[in-house]
Amino acid sequence: MAETATDDTETTPPIRLTEYADLHGCSCKLGQSDLEGLLAETGLDSDRDELLFGVGEDAAARKVSEDIAIVSTIDYFTPIIDDPHEYGRIAVTNAASDAYAKGATEQLSFMVVLGLPKEITEYATDILSGIVDAVEGMEGVVVGGHTVINPWPLAGAAVNAVASPDSLVTTQDASPGDQLYLTKPLGTQPAMGALRVKDGEFGEQVREAADRDIDAIGADALEWMGTPNRAAAKTFEAAPVTAATDITGFGLRGQSKQVAQNSGVRFEIDHIPVIEGTAPLSRMFGYGLLDGDSAETSGGLLMSVEPGGADDLEDELDSRDVFYRNVGQVVEGEGVIIEDPTIEEV
Amino acid sequence: MSKEIDVTGEICPRPALITRDHLEEMDAGESLLVTADYPPARDNIERTCQKHGYETAEVDAGDGDEFTLRIVVPDEAKGPVMDS
Repeated sequence: MAETATDDTETTPPIRLTEYADLHGCSCKLGQSDLEGLLAETGLDSDRDELLFGVGEDAAARKVSEDIAIVSTIDYFTPIIDDPHEYGRIAVTNAASDAYAKGATEQLSFMVVLGLPKEITEYATDILSGIVDAVEGMEGVVVGGHTVINPWPLAGAAVNAVASPDSLVTTQDASPGDQLYLTKPLGTQPAMGALRVKDGEFGEQVREAADRDIDAIGADALEWMGTPNRAAAKTFEAAPVTAATDITGFGLRGQSKQVAQNSGVRFEIDHIPVIEGTAPLSRMFGYGLLDGDSAETSGGLLMSVEPGGADDLEDELDSRDVFYRNVGQVVEGEGVIIEDPTIEEV
Repeated sequence: MSKEIDVTGEICPRPALITRDHLEEMDAGESLLVTADYPPARDNIERTCQKHGYETAEVDAGDGDEFTLRIVVPDEAKGPVMDS
């Protein structure tokens, strides 16, 4: 617990938000197989007539008229970074990403979820400011929220968006021949892990292993995590995107597996862009980044696009100044294949 | 000869880093027993060991999240374990 300074000359150790939780960012998600088991046990794993889509997707969509669907989702997580403003900004950017992954990019309303240990409730202001700043940047509105005392800090939001039912994209329609695109490089988990240990007993080893300044790697990761997927999702309107998801706690492999399974196809990943310097850190920490196993926080969109529409998609992404890489293709079969992918440092 | 370390209470990436440090000091044929309670550490330790040719096996599921892994130092590791 941090102490309160009694005068201006006393040095107060900074409160480290990440020390209040054992799991950080999207790493705190329940495991994929555990979640599937939970939904099956409670009968929530089947389609519902009231919804256009729901469980198994990043967000649920309910058609309220011929022209309007309400897209709903919720996402919150533990601190990924010690800076409270950045934590709030990334948490809510990540929450919005689930709506964007379905093509719902407009009129986003955010119900904030905020939990803090009793001894650091004064951080609420900065976390909420980060949330509000990010929401305004996405042209959304904070409409309310719920704040609780909780042993682990939590921040995020329940999100509602409005979209035309016909414009929405699910994870169910990828077809053999489609090309796969990813809109952010991977590597947030090793980047944040390195920040957590850089000043301790392993600092020197970690700095030696990385071929780049640890703080610079961390700054890049924060920049990517705080980049909304809204601009990437707006391309759905102009290109034949057949399926999409966002890359979060299950990593590239886990999120791809879910889309491949829902579409009844196989994903072949042959190219992985990573944040410069994160590959050796991942090898050192055993995170499996180069195998697509490393958890991501507020990662990019993974989209499949009809082969004839790949040029249109690239043009749209270019025009919106969105990072992207063609990372593979959809083939007949099942599951995800990631074998000797080319690794590109970004 | 086998050695035991307890990294319960440690969170990632420290369990993997502590394990690597100990393996670095050990000889071929020796085994290291690692007890941990941070769920993601299991995959991380196993992944980093297997990449370098070290065999791993769970010897005790323990209570709650706790688990113990046995890691055997191979005759010839695929490069030093500290060589990331």
